[in-house]
Amino acid sequence: MSAPLLEARGVTKRFPGVVALKDVGFDVRAGEVHALCGENGAGKSTLIKLLCGVHPYGSYEGELLVGGERAEFAGVGDAQRAGIAAIAQELACVPALSVAENVRLGDWPTTGALVDWQETRRDAREWLSKLGLDVDPDLPVERLGAGQRQLVEIAKALRKKARVLILDEPTAALAEAEARRLLELVRSLRAEGIAIVYISHRLEEIFEIADRVTVLRDGSTVSTRLASDARREVLIRDMVGRELGALFPRRAPALGPVRLEARRLGAEGGGGVKRLEDVSFSVRAGEVLGIGGLMGAGRTELLKHLFGAWGRRTAGELLLDGRPLPARTPWDALAAGLALVSEDRRRDGLVLEQSVGFNLSLSTVASLMRGGLLDEHEEAVLNERDRAELRIKTPSLAARVGGLSGGNQQKVLFGRARRSAPKVLLLDEPTRGVDVGAKVEIYEVINGLTEKGLAVVLVSSELPELIGMSDRIVMMRSGRVMGEFSRAEATQERLIAAALGHAEAA
Amino acid sequence: MSEEKAGMNVRDWSETLALGAIVAVFAALSPEFLGARNLSMLAIELSITAILALGMLLVMLPGQIDLSAGSGVGLIGGVAAVLVTRFNWPAPAAMLAAAVLAILIWNTMGRLIVSQRMPSFIITLGGLLVFKGLFWLVIQNATVPVSPAGAENLFARLTTTYLPPPLGWALAAAVAAVLLGGWARRARRAKATGAPYDSETGFLKAFLGAQAAALFVAVTNGFRGVPLPAVLLAASAAAVFILTEHTAFGRRLYAIGGNAEAALLAGIDVDKNVIAAFAIMGAAVALTGFMQTAYAGASTTTVGDLMELDAIAACVIGGTSLNGGRGNVRGVLFGALIMATLLNGMTLLAVSPEIKYVTRGLVLALAVWLDTRLSRVAR
Repeated sequence: MSAPLLEARGVTKRFPGVVALKDVGFDVRAGEVHALCGENGAGKSTLIKLLCGVHPYGSYEGELLVGGERAEFAGVGDAQRAGIAAIAQELACVPALSVAENVRLGDWPTTGALVDWQETRRDAREWLSKLGLDVDPDLPVERLGAGQRQLVEIAKALRKKARVLILDEPTAALAEAEARRLLELVRSLRAEGIAIVYISHRLEEIFEIADRVTVLRDGSTVSTRLASDARREVLIRDMVGRELGALFPRRAPALGPVRLEARRLGAEGGGGVKRLEDVSFSVRAGEVLGIGGLMGAGRTELLKHLFGAWGRRTAGELLLDGRPLPARTPWDALAAGLALVSEDRRRDGLVLEQSVGFNLSLSTVASLMRGGLLDEHEEAVLNERDRAELRIKTPSLAARVGGLSGGNQQKVLFGRARRSAPKVLLLDEPTRGVDVGAKVEIYEVINGLTEKGLAVVLVSSELPELIGMSDRIVMMRSGRVMGEFSRAEATQERLIAAALGHAEAA
Repeated sequence: MSEEKAGMNVRDWSETLALGAIVAVFAALSPEFLGARNLSMLAIELSITAILALGMLLVMLPGQIDLSAGSGVGLIGGVAAVLVTRFNWPAPAAMLAAAVLAILIWNTMGRLIVSQRMPSFIITLGGLLVFKGLFWLVIQNATVPVSPAGAENLFARLTTTYLPPPLGWALAAAVAAVLLGGWARRARRAKATGAPYDSETGFLKAFLGAQAAALFVAVTNGFRGVPLPAVLLAASAAAVFILTEHTAFGRRLYAIGGNAEAALLAGIDVDKNVIAAFAIMGAAVALTGFMQTAYAGASTTTVGDLMELDAIAACVIGGTSLNGGRGNVRGVLFGALIMATLLNGMTLLAVSPEIKYVTRGLVLALAVWLDTRLSRVAR
């Protein structure tokens, strides 16, 4: 057996407050497909970024070896020169440039001072035909489908003499036929001696093409096996693995009447690319309904659609307290009694430049108007109450919210949502990037709200959290509901199987 | 909101120093600069620039921009002048009709920007050209006086009216009463609830404001009295200040500019608020149009030229972010004062138009460069 082309030895990577990778070992040999799997947040992305130079040498502990030699990448450029190329989930094409221009991006052949377009085109065509992509090299990349774009990226990497190719969920955005062709290509690249790191949530693909499989969990390597020895159940157990301790203080609530009910909802958005189909669920007063699924399963879109902030309704209806909810906009939804704590608090939750107080009262400023002016006194009283009750750690209410820790920022968003006195609270990844202590505090806030009769819809990618905090769980995949589980039925194995689309693997 | 940081910070000092330096240079070069007559004229010029800049602030807070404001100033002033002179409308009716027209036009531009998802830069750049053309059509490339020959009307009096000195003093007293009354109310409330409030700084600010008003009245009473445009500016500034700092609408503008996606998910009707900001800009353009046209004495083809850039410059010098979400009335007034002082001083010194342009451009670039440097140091 040949020596590894690329190897990570005892790698540890820390971010402020989090250890993303703990003493991880990973290697890939020439002519091998080595699959990497794990739950969202297990450390796969961090490992890839480390392998391809995004996290430079010195920002981690441990070492990288290329062909047995120590490598110290200062950046992506160094890694590329060493023959390592990563094809990311969000592709790095320039959409407005042509296929040929993208294949030779930044490295255009010249005659004198001018770019030799003839040569660019010829060269691009040659590489593309090697990959079996038959498109006009003058076509702008934005006119290509996701699969074709991926091939352009791979051509670009191979042209730079890549020996190690890292494919991050390459089939996630592809239709079945395109995915098949990509797998064929991966096989032929392997036959040519390219080393391939293959990340995918689709276990069937892994069994189909991988030689070895490594499972990461919580930043550590759990197992590395020959794919021929691994069984699906074993891999799922490795991915999930841990015991649920007292981390999740969910108290069984007194259930009230059905608050929010979706009946065969259908919606589409993002230019028709993403859609929800036939989504039905209900949530009762005092209940936490968990919604699980892999990235891209349509959970965020569903929550935003319920809140009137995403997509066009194509089918079905939504009922609040038994009456149709006409909400088509976020302000209607807010007025009707819905509140949303959005997924990415820095991107679409907080106004970072503004103060803690500003952010707390943002949804409810209209109710503070008295005779044409804001009642800033009442506002200060309410803000102070929220700060105390939610235990938001901040120097003052006038401090910039952007300077707070993740957990405290999240509490500000909870305070804002709570302030509008909603009947239904929609939570999208409420504890992402929050340290353990603040997580438990947030879970207690959820408990307190359901005890007051709120219905909560909780989207989470962390299965333990989903199982620990939900009274019922709905699993989604590709915009559809794949199954509903009571608290007693919900095991991680069953949920993962549903998320992956194997209803039978329970 | 900058209001919450009490006291002066680095950028306040740098602004004050810059203005002080500009004033010192002009005062040294021209003895008339600090005379009552010139200061009175400066007050009128400042008022015209600043009212447009205050409207621009409302557009820039939610992250938009209005390049059509200068052309609009010409057009709306021209429409009112034509109605008065060619159609013999009474001046108040003509001004009201022109103002309604302006609000409708700016409302429509706002609607186009949000409904078609087009950048305001492009829509208002189109507006700049369209309004300029319409303006020249309306006045038929001629000079249209603001009042029929020999007659006086409200339009013409906009920039030629001065308050009698006793009324000026009464006004200063009223300003002082409002400022100090506001301080007393806050201090009392803070004491009652135990909320943090720096009472001394608050008093100092109110006291300085009252003194400034008194000083202004004392100076302008040395030349005819308080000019009407200064009163209009004070009223506009107070209105925009209340709107931005003490209403839900203002909060929403800051939120939209700071993070439009977050504002939407917090249940804010982003589009409606942006349209409203543009409609108010229309009103500011109308008022500026009447004043600028009246100051020129007649509507001529060059009225309003490049005024949008002065307004944007005043905002930016005053710390308004081009990306939205940051800026306040005090800063904008300061920025307008710097721009108006520069222009006034250079006109007094008979500096050539070429050099005026170069100087104003350099000052703008320098001010913004200083601001980015200083705010980086402050972090």
